Amino acid sequence: MKPELKPAGDSALLVSFGETIDEEVNEKVHALAKRLEQARFEWLVEVVPAYSSLAVIYDPTLVGFEEVKRAVEGIRVTSERFEGRLIEIPVVYGSSYGPDIEFVANYNGLSVDDIIEIHSKPVYRVYFLGFLPGFAYLGGMDERIATPRLEKPRLKVPAGSVGIAGKQTGIYPLESPGGWRLIGRTPLRLFNPAKEPPTLLQPGDRVKFVPIEESEFREIYLEEWGEGVD
Amino acid sequence: MKGLIELLRVPSLLTIQDAGRKGYRKLGVPVSGFMDDYSARIANYLVGNPGNAPLLEFLLAGPVVRFNASAVFAVVGDVEVRLNGAPIDPWTSHWAKRGDVLEVGTLRSGLYGYIAFAGGIKCEKLLGSCSAYPRAKLGRPLKAGDRLSLGYALLTGREGRYLPKELRPDYSGNEREIRVVLGPNLEHFSEEGIETFLSETYTVTPESDRMGYRLDGPAIEHSSLGADIVTEPLLPGAVQVPANGKPIVMMRDAQTTGGYAKIAAVVSADLHLLAQSRPGAKVRFKAVEVEEAQKLLRKREKTIEAIRAFLEEKMRAYKVKVSGKEFTAFAGKVK
Repeated sequence: MKPELKPAGDSALLVSFGETIDEEVNEKVHALAKRLEQARFEWLVEVVPAYSSLAVIYDPTLVGFEEVKRAVEGIRVTSERFEGRLIEIPVVYGSSYGPDIEFVANYNGLSVDDIIEIHSKPVYRVYFLGFLPGFAYLGGMDERIATPRLEKPRLKVPAGSVGIAGKQTGIYPLESPGGWRLIGRTPLRLFNPAKEPPTLLQPGDRVKFVPIEESEFREIYLEEWGEGVD
Repeated sequence: MKGLIELLRVPSLLTIQDAGRKGYRKLGVPVSGFMDDYSARIANYLVGNPGNAPLLEFLLAGPVVRFNASAVFAVVGDVEVRLNGAPIDPWTSHWAKRGDVLEVGTLRSGLYGYIAFAGGIKCEKLLGSCSAYPRAKLGRPLKAGDRLSLGYALLTGREGRYLPKELRPDYSGNEREIRVVLGPNLEHFSEEGIETFLSETYTVTPESDRMGYRLDGPAIEHSSLGADIVTEPLLPGAVQVPANGKPIVMMRDAQTTGGYAKIAAVVSADLHLLAQSRPGAKVRFKAVEVEEAQKLLRKREKTIEAIRAFLEEKMRAYKVKVSGKEFTAFAGKVK
């Protein structure tokens, strides 16, 4: 499929493969992003991938829109596979770590154990990062555990909290306000500006949640954050 | 300790900013940086710094600062400035000696002001930038009692640089025309919706910050595709329109992706004008082609470059009157 190339303001070109959430299309997005970075155009500032689109951010004092468009058109990505890493994410499900897990179970007519099993079974795909530093848009959640957001968002959700919002699941990389139904928490640090790269997950990675006990959580947390939890 | 300055009073949001973070947006890290890059770069040039050096950005009301060592500084903004109680000029670089107290008042026009110091503020670079983005604990708002160190700089000859009034950006007045490039989600808007956006007047609301400016005005009608899109990349300047039809213009701390349809993007040459618009200010949008927007930006870069050369006395500025209209002309050689 030929993507649509259009201006997103005067400093970016948006490559759009149509409004769709599809693994193959997303692979094309990441393959194109990688090719553009490798081409080392002097006018390229950075690329920002999303589900089915890619922003090519450039310096308009060095180049015009048409030239960037021709450069992007000249890149072929037809049959390329983008294979990300597989990252295991340990999670304590339920109790104070996942205060909404009973709600999610009741809402879907399942038991808490069912929720844990269904949530930790798939290999999720990191479509892209956005919303907050290190926040991964994950694809692949089983719709049997889909649950609407909280009516009133919490003012403070701890970093590492794992939640469900509609048909999506995600991990809060930072302490922040939030309306997702919380089912667990990982002790891993998803965003650490002192590290390079600063995020645990990269666009295109695959993710597997692994249920752990509270004692393990405390151990890993201390290692990751250099301090005890709470 | 050399170059130590102390914040005695911080009446409103005060942060360290530079030209921003590049290369981390694909990991969800916003670009951040100067809200008004035009003023901030001039502030840096006034004290002989490179344009992207870290400086202080204040919202509306400036701080009170004590110098515990000699320094050269400049305050940029439409604001009253005092050194040891005596009024001094903004848009001018001044010498401060150990024990001097600088008081920066409240902006008479505009929303963001800048204080630059020769050598720049020394700070821990996080992901390649000193720009504060408190949401992710990349830096934090400064508070009274904080001390800042400055980078090393030869101070001699850096004071007394002055930008004449006619060369300063003018943020007075309550109505502005802001130019935009339409798209990229035009198919999510009805023809009437696009017409409304380009012909009506919008007001900046108090729900505006470094992340985005919410505007109020006639609702912009979506097409049958609706207000929500499959989440796409989002850049500063983008005009998102959620289901209520009221536009939100994304600013420097904007999240890197967003799920509302974007009707347009403010041109880079005008984004500082919007950044400096206070709640209550009226905005009208005018569509230009992307090539025109890029021409405007290149022209603006030339102007800033000429101002830098003028401040470094490589150029002279003259007032020229052409058919009743006054212009500022530069004579000399840049670079």
